[in-house]
Amino acid sequence: MAGSNTVRILDGNTFVVSEDTGDIEATPSEPTGLFSLDTRYLSKWVLTVNGERLNALSYDDLQYYEARFFLVPGMATHYVDAKLSIIRERVVGGSFRETLTILNHDEKAVDLEIRMDAGSDFADLFQVKDEILNKKGELYAEAEPDRLRLGYRRGNFKRETVVSTNQPARYDNRGFAFSVHLEPNEQWNVLIDVQTFAIGPGGRDLRIGLRAHGTERLALQHDLEEWIEKAPKVNSEHGRVAATYRRSLVDLAALRFSPLSLGGQTLPAAGLPWFMTMFGRDSILTCLQVLPFAPEMSKTTLRILGALQGTRFDDFRDEDPGRILHEMRYGETAAFEEQPHSPYYGSVDATPLFVVLLDEYERWSGDVALVKELERECRAALRWIDDYADLVGNGYIWYERRNTDTGLENQCWKDSWDSVSYADGSLPPFPRASCEVQGYAYDAKIRAARMAREFWGDPGYAEQLEREAAELKARFNRDWWVDDGGFYALALDPQGRKCDVLSSNIGHLLWSGIVDDERAPRIAEHLIGPRLWSGWGVRTLAEGEVRYNPIGYHNGAIWPFDNSFVAWGLRRYGFAEEAATVANGILDAATYFDGRLPEAFGGYQRELTKFPVEYPTACSPQAWSTGAPLLLIRTMLGLEPHEGHLAVDPRLPVGMGRIEVLDIPGRWGRVDAFARGRLDLHNLAG
Amino acid sequence: MVDMTTRFFEDLDRRGFEPLLVKTSGTLRFDLHEGAQTTHWLLEIDRGNLRVRQEDGEADTVVGTDPRLFGALVDGEENAIAALLRGDMTVVGDLRLVLQIERVFPGPPDSRGPHHAFARRAA
Repeated sequence: MAGSNTVRILDGNTFVVSEDTGDIEATPSEPTGLFSLDTRYLSKWVLTVNGERLNALSYDDLQYYEARFFLVPGMATHYVDAKLSIIRERVVGGSFRETLTILNHDEKAVDLEIRMDAGSDFADLFQVKDEILNKKGELYAEAEPDRLRLGYRRGNFKRETVVSTNQPARYDNRGFAFSVHLEPNEQWNVLIDVQTFAIGPGGRDLRIGLRAHGTERLALQHDLEEWIEKAPKVNSEHGRVAATYRRSLVDLAALRFSPLSLGGQTLPAAGLPWFMTMFGRDSILTCLQVLPFAPEMSKTTLRILGALQGTRFDDFRDEDPGRILHEMRYGETAAFEEQPHSPYYGSVDATPLFVVLLDEYERWSGDVALVKELERECRAALRWIDDYADLVGNGYIWYERRNTDTGLENQCWKDSWDSVSYADGSLPPFPRASCEVQGYAYDAKIRAARMAREFWGDPGYAEQLEREAAELKARFNRDWWVDDGGFYALALDPQGRKCDVLSSNIGHLLWSGIVDDERAPRIAEHLIGPRLWSGWGVRTLAEGEVRYNPIGYHNGAIWPFDNSFVAWGLRRYGFAEEAATVANGILDAATYFDGRLPEAFGGYQRELTKFPVEYPTACSPQAWSTGAPLLLIRTMLGLEPHEGHLAVDPRLPVGMGRIEVLDIPGRWGRVDAFARGRLDLHNLAG
Repeated sequence: MVDMTTRFFEDLDRRGFEPLLVKTSGTLRFDLHEGAQTTHWLLEIDRGNLRVRQEDGEADTVVGTDPRLFGALVDGEENAIAALLRGDMTVVGDLRLVLQIERVFPGPPDSRGPHHAFARRAA
């Protein structure tokens, strides 16, 4: 992952990661570059003046799509004798454009040789952290009188970077240069345009006609303003919640992604910089989080995932009929089937969550047409749950990858290799069944029953689904309950043996409704009890478990997205104070990250570190972390569609003061919600 | 012997309806280039209703590939999205139509589907 001193700007899946000078010199440990369509189009972009590298005085990432760097010649010294200033301003919007401005502060005229070294290794996104030694195709560079063309060719696969400028430059195969004479106090500008091409044999670009909005800076700015204008307003007495909301809203705009097949409509990509693509799980969970604030994202997400739903058995892609995709990629490794992402289907939660999102979306929007439009896809998803996912034949969703080379081992959200274990720390064999996925399946059946009865005109199917859901709930409560711990096992192995560790997944079970009412208080107690609750959030794995590690990715770190669903689950079962505790902890943590919650932070006790410790290689902004504050606001305010109107039932901690959410869109038109902090949480957590 | 491509299109035409395409309407033309020779297949989709003609006509989407690759696509040996990303298949016009018709192509012939543990035990 790129280090913390990197600057990142993006538009859709085109993005630039650079050093704080604006330079790009990619290495496996600092994978900087200009990326588009999962391909690196620039791996070298180094500016020199009279042969000297430049030193950064400061930089601003003004908006997600633009940044500005203030530079002076020479490397950092005690005293920077700046007779020259160099300003680099860059925008990403379809192409990458950089404006250089050079100012002469000297009382004498100067002659300058300004050079940009440019090069590209055309690495696939999956290769950027490796030494790239054996590209199978051929790299080329062609200097033309008015442009530099960098390219990569492998069979018919062709990617090109074309650099041109609005001032005459001398191009060679390794960059371009200008000779500039500047009088005292004179300045000089040049606009550099970098275009990226994915060219088919007919010379046409793959992406023609697929832009979500204009590529000009003004169009991007207008689009962002419109996005913010359309969303509800959040005001808060202490300003912090409102600031976090605003940051999330802007980041959500940045994370909108227009897949090749959607004709310019957008859905949330998973995260910057390495996950600017469509993920079934991440896109659906983010849509669920932001439904009260940006409902139209759900519609496009459901449509695109439905359009790409599996139709056949493909063992390389882990595809089955009815299965919802896991991840789509556009780079060389996907094209040549060295990776299975064209698309890859190896996830077991995206399919039931697809059904859950459709129902939840209708409850908010009243968009019955979409429920009817996607009836077939919903039925296919439900058939997948029963026919193809039940690998052991005992009524649960299991996973075991068929692509044993490049497929995913763990196909639930905790997808690292050691995320599922028994209490003694050993790892179970495959197939495995993860508990929260059984909850999602239960919820999908209950929700599909409502849709079948109300919109599909099939009461018989509704009854069948409700019967199956009730049987699943009874079976689950029998097979997964860890009696001496008083919680549900994280997973089952194929012999039915429990992975009897205490984990945050039990919060998702509350959200899904699969928890027996009499057991819910025990679950709520665990979630804000000392083993899971750090003071900032609920740990992925409880302190005291063999594999617990406060910075274990899925074995102890705290994930804001996870916590937002935990809070929703607590609220669903009536544990409003516990939900407010979780919301309060995560929103407190957000203020340490300027409102931008990372993917994960350490599970250390709050009193120990005083501030949340960011997980070392966390991806940021990440869609479902960005969505977390929005779901937490919904949870605290108790926003719930109820018989055609919006019910509001706020439960806020005292310290949060007054919060108002204005213009919440839905089937009711637009309504406002007001809340005041009244809960004293001090007696609760610990 | 009838080749895979002819069999695929004749089968679509005979079926006349494909439930996976009920939300799809539009015309696709497949131009299969071999040297100077091009074979055309024109597929009309009207909310799942299908009509196939072997002719060169106006279309919303024109797909170009060599006949060998196309035969492998409709046989399941090759994947259309990967072929598109690789540049071995070109598309002019509405890409969405290609992604929809692609779903009708079969999976790889050697793909077995989920390994049911109970089936293994029974075996």
